[in-house]
Amino acid sequence: MAGGTAEPAEPPESAGMTGTEEVSRLRGTLFEAVTLGATVFGLLMVGVLLLYVVNDAVRPLSADPGWHLVFFLTLVVPSLSVAAYCYTREGPAGEVAYATFGLPVVGLLVGAGIVVVFLEVVSVADWFGLALALVAAAGAIELHRRLRPYAALERLAVLIVAPLVAIFGVPALSVDRTLATPLTGTELFTLSFSTPKLLPGVPELFTSLPVLPLDWLLLVVSLTLPVAFAFGRIVSRRREDDRGRLETVAAAGAVALVGALVAPTVGIDAAHWVVLATTTLLPLGVYLEGVVRERAGLAGLWFPVVVVAGTLVGALVVETVGFAGPDPWLDWGFLTSATSRSPADAGIYPALVGSILMLVVIVVSAFPVGVGAAIYLEEYAPNSGPLGTFVTLVEINIGNLAGVPSVVYGLLGLAIFVRTFDLGNGTVIVGGFTVGLLILPIVIISAQEAIRAVPDSLRQASYGMGATQWQTIRNVVLPRALPGTLTGTILALGRAIGETAPLLMIGAAASVRTPPNGFFSRFSAMPRQIYSWSSEIQPEFRYGVLAAGVVTLLVVLLMMNGTAILIRNKYQRES
Amino acid sequence: MSSDGAGQGAVTGMADRSEPESRTDDDPERSGATDGAETVIESRDLDVFYGDEQALRGIDLTIPEHRVTALIGPSGCGKSTFLRSINRMNDLIDVARVEGDLLFRGKNVYDEDVDPVALRRKIGMVFQKPNPFPKSIRDNVAYGLEVQGKTDDIDERIHTALERAALIDEVEDRLDESGLDLSGGQQQRLCIARAIATDPEVLLMDEPASALDPVATSKVEDLVEELAQEYTVVIVTHNMQQAARISDKTAVFLTGGELVEAGDTNEIFENPEHDRVEDYITGKFG
Ligand SMILES: Nc1ncnc2c1ncn2[C@@H]1O[C@H](COP(=O)(O)OP(=O)(O)OP(=O)(O)O)[C@@H](O)[C@H]1O
Ligand SMILES: [Mg+2]
Repeated sequence: MAGGTAEPAEPPESAGMTGTEEVSRLRGTLFEAVTLGATVFGLLMVGVLLLYVVNDAVRPLSADPGWHLVFFLTLVVPSLSVAAYCYTREGPAGEVAYATFGLPVVGLLVGAGIVVVFLEVVSVADWFGLALALVAAAGAIELHRRLRPYAALERLAVLIVAPLVAIFGVPALSVDRTLATPLTGTELFTLSFSTPKLLPGVPELFTSLPVLPLDWLLLVVSLTLPVAFAFGRIVSRRREDDRGRLETVAAAGAVALVGALVAPTVGIDAAHWVVLATTTLLPLGVYLEGVVRERAGLAGLWFPVVVVAGTLVGALVVETVGFAGPDPWLDWGFLTSATSRSPADAGIYPALVGSILMLVVIVVSAFPVGVGAAIYLEEYAPNSGPLGTFVTLVEINIGNLAGVPSVVYGLLGLAIFVRTFDLGNGTVIVGGFTVGLLILPIVIISAQEAIRAVPDSLRQASYGMGATQWQTIRNVVLPRALPGTLTGTILALGRAIGETAPLLMIGAAASVRTPPNGFFSRFSAMPRQIYSWSSEIQPEFRYGVLAAGVVTLLVVLLMMNGTAILIRNKYQRES
Repeated sequence: MSSDGAGQGAVTGMADRSEPESRTDDDPERSGATDGAETVIESRDLDVFYGDEQALRGIDLTIPEHRVTALIGPSGCGKSTFLRSINRMNDLIDVARVEGDLLFRGKNVYDEDVDPVALRRKIGMVFQKPNPFPKSIRDNVAYGLEVQGKTDDIDERIHTALERAALIDEVEDRLDESGLDLSGGQQQRLCIARAIATDPEVLLMDEPASALDPVATSKVEDLVEELAQEYTVVIVTHNMQQAARISDKTAVFLTGGELVEAGDTNEIFENPEHDRVEDYITGKFG
């Protein structure tokens, strides 16, 4: 910001008199100072506010000074010095340090999210059935591609029908309707028939098996092995041999298997272990393999070791000496329990699950629609003629829609999804659709921009090779535009997860005791829960619990934005 | 299929001279290097407009089969435009508009019932600027084969195409690396390999050697001459020596989008009819 203000400081060339020169220079300096001041002031205010909230949420001062001293000495000093050493060293030590530390943290969070989904939303058997169905559908589509490579329209039908049939089967159909003329209400005829269920879906077939394998075994097959296979590709490519993939899959399978057998003896559910090992150990292992084999930045490996060792040693010392730790509002109990009348027991778990489920609905609904709309507007829509004028009008108004206040979207959601389509008051799906509608313009615009940034020469190359328009879009335009689209979408999702007003309008619960167990059950989301805490009478709610909720929300948001930045950086490096 | 000079009945103004030995417009005989070749592509009174600007004016030109036809002329005279109007790449430019006839094997490609996608599968193109896809070298060459559904023996076809484009030695053991990691000249040869992998009938090349060093240029020139055994090649070039070396027929465009003279290459270079053409070829202007 301050960089852009340097321009006015340049003396105009025509100013022959030193007087005007001085005045303009003075004005430039003044302008620069003012803008710089505004920037610093804004940043400071946000920083102070955040500090305040974090202080309320964590309450570091409630701990003994000795506790702070111990951890300062065992954790902060050693890890900071290792970090500084890695940072100043030549080579990739710094990157290794932060990757080996960050990967497991992110992996744990993702794994925890998956575990929560298995706990609250789908059973492992259901999931496995669903996975089987998708594999069957993919097989059918591939078969069709092999057998009839040119029937594009037919394939579109197969593409839509195959997954539906695989998941739902051919369900029973029963119609019982009386058709009447709209004005006078005279009955015309009654349509009534029903067909028996013709074909059960794959998930149903699977769960109706008399004996189901153990949960963790299902997870090893449906989660660990496919993920290991994908990571194995990276290993294979990096080592430029074909054994890497096999070895990765074998190692991942072995770790999951051994862990699943050992975990129950230390009180961890075997299925949970399999999930966490897949999301945490697998990426870490693949990364470490690369570091160790190339012997680049090995010093960075000390960083996670020092952090873990420091924490353990510190905890041991604190335990033996007897220093009391802090009593934060934001603790394990807060993340895993429901809200309650007493501030000490209150937690955010149901709202956290609600937010995540809502996010799933948003992604599944807004992303395909938004990208589809962007593809139409950029690649298919005519630029001239009456339709062209109409399309221009639409494009302008998409920009306007991005600025419509969120309450208005809430009202729209209430009218359409609650009243007209009767999807239920304050259910996850209504919340997701409503907020999805809210971010749809942002998704469209960012996708449009990404598509527009694909060089025309690539399109021409594709058409020149005799590709059809759809082939060009699918093979050339979309892959190029995907990173940009993803970045924009993730930033929009960050906005979506913090929206409160639409949730108030569609009747999301003020607070719920149990997390939603499906997309059609009532829910509360984090901002909604925070809002209702703010009006509690007890000050502990307003100062402690609320702060903890805000920090949780901000951490989720930061993680999403971090992902967006990572995607963008990777993309920028590649192009 | 018209192999005679029937298209020249519609000659207006500047004449298309396919018959260098006799200087009269209505002599149907062919001779020289283009002798006996059938006409694959023929334009009749072709105008191309970009919005209100006219880029090509009444072009009459025939392109003989299994020969190399060079298009030369100063920058901005419409060579690329003419090339693009052959395989209907101009369709992709919103403001572009084509009038007149362009016949491919006797069929007007601008007729309603012509599918431009099918047309482009028969008429391959190498662009003025190298434009490989941001994919691996292998996938770049495989692209045309895949979109056209010619996926049998795909590895062999890829190998042959790279071999013919004189690139195989440089990329044999790095087929999985990105096509963008190649040098400019290698990228251009990759684009040539990509275009010939699908075995088109006609190959349009827009200054394929402009980004190449002399060694790579001579490789491409050899390639073009070899390609002419099986394909019909139309090549745009700014390099007079190159046109003289590799082409059988030459068409000279001059500023304003007019085709001033066309005919047997030797004739055009040794004994051009128009002074403007002579000036251009000898470097006095343009
Ligand atoms: N996409 C376009 N939109 C508008 N005008 C265009 C477009 N492409 C080309 N033109 C115009 O058409 C004329 C002919 O351009 P063309 O690219 O065919 O020239 P060229 O002979 O290939 O030149 P060069 O040797 O520099 O490549 C030029 O005046 C140019 O400005
Ligand atoms: Mg050109």
